[in-house]
Parts: sequence; C-alpha cells; structure tokens
Amino acid sequence: MLITRRKLFKPLQKKRKEKVKSVNVHSKWKIIRILLTTSYLMLGWIFFTVNLAPFSLFLGLMLSFAVAFFTYDLFIEKEEAARRSLLPRIYLLIIYPLVLLTKVYLASFKMIIPVISGQSNPRVVHFRTRLKSELARVVLANSITLTPGTLTLDLDNDHLIVHWLDAKTIHSHYAARLIKGHFESWLKRIWM
Amino acid sequence: MIFIFYIFLFLSIFFAFFGNIGMLRFPDVYTRLQASSKCATTSLLSLFIGLMILKGFSSISVRILVIAIFFLLTSPVASHAIGRSAYEGGILPWRRVRKKEDISEDK
Repeated sequence: MLITRRKLFKPLQKKRKEKVKSVNVHSKWKIIRILLTTSYLMLGWIFFTVNLAPFSLFLGLMLSFAVAFFTYDLFIEKEEAARRSLLPRIYLLIIYPLVLLTKVYLASFKMIIPVISGQSNPRVVHFRTRLKSELARVVLANSITLTPGTLTLDLDNDHLIVHWLDAKTIHSHYAARLIKGHFESWLKRIWM
Repeated sequence: MIFIFYIFLFLSIFFAFFGNIGMLRFPDVYTRLQASSKCATTSLLSLFIGLMILKGFSSISVRILVIAIFFLLTSPVASHAIGRSAYEGGILPWRRVRKKEDISEDK
C-alpha cells in the first residue's frame, strides 16, 4: 500500500517543488481524481450486483466512468493537500469496523444500567482532536456518536462538543482520553 | 449456525427493549436521543450480523453487508443532526441535581 502511494504521488511532489508549468500538474491530478472516483464507484457496483460476468463488469465500468467524469470535482477536492485522505490503508480500514463493533457492544451493555436504575450523570464536554484530514475527523465524530453513551453535538474544525451520558470528569483532557479511546490512534494510522 | 443466529436475534430484541424503556425513562432530549438511537443501532447491527451468519457466504450476505455499511454511515448522522439542532436551539442539557444532604457545608 505504501509503495503504491509513493509511486503515485512522487512525481507530483517533485514537480510542485520545482515549480514547473502548473498546467501539467493540474491535468495529471485531474486524471488521478477521475480514476480514483471511477474505482470507488466500480467497487460499489461490484458490491451491489454480486455478479462477475464480463458484460456486467463492462457496463459497470462504463457507467462509473461516465459518472466519475462529470462528478469527480464534487467527490475529491481540488487542493492536493487532501490527497492523503483518498488512499487509506485498506487492511486497517477492514479491521477498524471490528474494533468499532466490539466497542459498541461493550458500551451498550454498560448503557443498560442507567436505563434500569434511571440514574445518569449527563454532561457536555468539549475537546479537540489531533487528526488532520477532514474525512478522518468526520469518521471520528460518527464513531463517537455510534458508541452508546456519547453523542457528538458539534464538530467545528478540530473542536468537538460531546454529550456524555455517564460523565466521569468535565476536564477536557481526561474526557478526551476516555471518549476518543483507541479510535483516534486507529484513525491516525489509517489516514495518517 | 441457526443457534448463533438465535443468539444474535435475542440480543437484538434485548437491546431494542431496553432502548425503548430508556426512551420513556430519561428526562430530556439528549438523553432520550442517546437511549433510542443507540440501542436501536446496536439491535439492528446484531440483526444484520445474525442474518449474515445464517446465510453464510453468499450474494445475499454481501448485500446485507452493504446495507449495514450504509446504516453505519447514516444512523449517526441522523442522531447528530437532531442533537445539533437541539443544541443550537438553546435547549440546556439536563443535569443531575444533588440532594442537600449530600453537599457538605464546610465551604
């Protein structure tokens, strides 16, 4: 995964450093964007129609290329700064949902106690994340919301406002450590 | 296979039941949102997992996987939207008030 990423982006970085004609770089980046969008759409097509017949694959490729050609600008931003979020480490991306699932189950078993006893100590806590890419931040906020007992109320750049059902501290540092848990380190490894 | 499926089905019913009880018992918007959406999430996820185990590795289970992924993406966004609109609308979160006997009067 790492090797392919380097191969893909090394020429881009070199050219940007040398400040050669920017037109060439932009057109290259455009082609990469179209191809990436096509591949993501193709993956979705294969998952939806579980069918590996050549005609189906051909049709999917054509359709996803047509869609990607018109909409690549919406999916992938023009700035190359966001390019690291496009290619996550896929083997970690497969493990991450399993981590999330175990956390969700553990937390929902813990959630039963305040439901039965009716005693909870809800608080609103503020903290920041260290994640750089936008996509990783959104995934972090969503996984915090998905875990029972915590609910993301707002995400503003790197500032998160979280409603915590069974609050142990209001101190932002400790609260961040307890709520974010392993999510942040996993996401850091996935999206750098 | 069927036995594991039954376990997951039981878990699903269990979490849905407690989610609804929490929905009735909790005091304000945020806590009710937590109870309803979260236990619903867990119950649906365990239903999906149970169905995938029942069907084994087939075309239907791949489709269930896709549905589960879309559910994982959309469900937190929905509860976040409700919570955020309540927070921006100025609804104060409910707090537990201590009894007078619990607070020491040294200060």
